[in-house]
Amino acid sequence: MPKVVSIHSYRGGTGKSNFTANLATTVAALGSRVGVVDTDVPSPGIHNLFCLEPEQMGKTLNSYLWGEGAIEEAAYDISANVGVEGAGKLFLVPSSVKADDIARILKDGYDVRLMNDGFRNLVKALQLDYLFIDTHPGLSKETFLSIAISHVLIIILRPDKQDYQGTAVAMDVARQLNVRKVLLAINKAHSKLNPEALKQKVEETYSETVAGIFPLSEDIVQLASEGVFCVKYPEHPVSQEFRKVAQQIIEG
Amino acid sequence: MSNVGDLQSLASSITAMTSPFRNYLIDLHEKYRSLNEGAVADYIPELALAKPEWFGVCVVTAEGQVFEVGNCDQLFTIQSISKAFVFGLALEDHGREYVNSKVSVEPTGEAFNSIVLDEATNRPYNPMVNAGAIATADLIKGKDGTERLKRVLEMFKRYTGREHDINVPVFLSEKATGNRNRAMAYLMLNFGMVSDKIDETLDLYFQQCSIMVNARDLAMLSATLANGGVNPVTKERAIDERYVQDVISVMLTCGMYDASGEWAYRVGLPAKSGVGGGITAIAPGKLGIGTFSPPLDAKGNSVRGIKVCEDLSKDFGLHLFNVASPERNLQEWIAGGDGVNDW
Ligand SMILES: Nc1ncnc2c1ncn2[C@@H]1O[C@H](COP(=O)(O)OP(=O)(O)OP(=O)(O)O)[C@@H](O)[C@H]1O
Ligand SMILES: [Mg+2]
Repeated sequence: MPKVVSIHSYRGGTGKSNFTANLATTVAALGSRVGVVDTDVPSPGIHNLFCLEPEQMGKTLNSYLWGEGAIEEAAYDISANVGVEGAGKLFLVPSSVKADDIARILKDGYDVRLMNDGFRNLVKALQLDYLFIDTHPGLSKETFLSIAISHVLIIILRPDKQDYQGTAVAMDVARQLNVRKVLLAINKAHSKLNPEALKQKVEETYSETVAGIFPLSEDIVQLASEGVFCVKYPEHPVSQEFRKVAQQIIEG
Repeated sequence: MSNVGDLQSLASSITAMTSPFRNYLIDLHEKYRSLNEGAVADYIPELALAKPEWFGVCVVTAEGQVFEVGNCDQLFTIQSISKAFVFGLALEDHGREYVNSKVSVEPTGEAFNSIVLDEATNRPYNPMVNAGAIATADLIKGKDGTERLKRVLEMFKRYTGREHDINVPVFLSEKATGNRNRAMAYLMLNFGMVSDKIDETLDLYFQQCSIMVNARDLAMLSATLANGGVNPVTKERAIDERYVQDVISVMLTCGMYDASGEWAYRVGLPAKSGVGGGITAIAPGKLGIGTFSPPLDAKGNSVRGIKVCEDLSKDFGLHLFNVASPERNLQEWIAGGDGVNDW
């Protein structure tokens, strides 16, 4: 049975797109067929990490939502871009970065049911084992939708009061939507924090598992979204932490 | 999203969208979309205009959740499906005993348009055959044809929660070609089974059959019966609770023309079909099903509609007399959750 994994945070810039890209790549590298959908229609970005340039994009998620074609027509095989070989495959359905397209979808909206049906069609058409959904921060209909359908919801938070509060809101919503499994991930933890104590505190606060703690990393900043970190630095502690989280997704 | 009520209502609209049950219906619709059997009714030119590919499936639960796939907004004429509900109104107008004295409730092996009355009592066989439906329409109270029609339309509005119109060309065509029905009415008049306002009653009968509905309306009709006569969305009562069982039981025994016996055995859902391509089916206490697909089989029932009802009944154990645990648990599939694999 295919597994849907949504990556969410209440606030922006927490590292959702980085997590999505690294986790999806890690799972695909282990031999699974993996799809990634960028549902961040207002501010898409994950295609950068996968080195898919706007010029290479024909159809996008927007085209599908406008009824201009099947969702799989907007799926790009990016396995080679991230060095995934063999049985594993990685596909990306990007959102359009054209300002006109973004304006149009914000202005006219779209039928959210199409998103649900599109996810399912994509999984069927590409015979995916995993579908990763990168989301727009905050709460919106599409966020609700991706939370509702996910088998695993990953909520990312930074050690920051605003993030703590936002995570509580996101958790409320997730519970209201009967989400099946939640994993918390702490990102951008500065070096002075005690990871074990932090993990314990967060787990107590939200009564959910912390799947991984990621340091604030100069190396990630330096990569500057021009590639998937765990492909560039497979032995880096950050990459090992991603593998740890990926393992929990696979097992969970 | 300032209060819990809003969060809850948004969450429930999202869970309805992502409900495994909705996904099941999408797959079911896909499964039978390409089934190209049967023929669109063409005894009047208006019906022949229906597109054979039109296909809508709607399920409304007794709790008022609405699931719809395909052409659920496409309007078509309700045709014979109206008979079951007008029977309910006649019961409200006159009570069971009187109505039963005018129309029997016995299934007939004869065709729906046969000119046969019960030999001992001169009653038409049941309210679902044309003769019985005309005798039933005769019972609808009102000072004139307009008021009687208005009462019928208001009744349908209570069931579906929205206003309905008559398809006038269909009405006029039915009226122009309805000599057989006229003959039946006069035969019944001869036996004193109907009043002498024959033309007015026949008009009402042709009009009730020409009411325009869509698949969602059909699901609302049956969901209202499934919910004890109260529309589960608007919460309005559509029919006196005492007569819900009358309507449902006649649908079970006579609702699918002369395929009713096999239907009761195999599908086990009280249902009524119409030559417009609609079927409304009831799982009492659980849900109502509305299907729309114009191609009909030899017995006059929608081919795709039959398949959809068969699958729903089998997969969720909806057969009235089923006691075995079904392949899928309805509540779980509607609510979603760990136990459900809808991928
Ligand atoms: N652990 C980390 N240490 C340092 N920088 C990081 C770390 N994780 C992510 N970043 C950087 O933070 C920025 C935001 O990351 P990313 O785009 O993945 O976040 P996001 O949650 O997807 O943002 P948005 O809400 O805008 O979609 C990027 O520049 C990224 O390189
Ligand atoms: Mg992002």
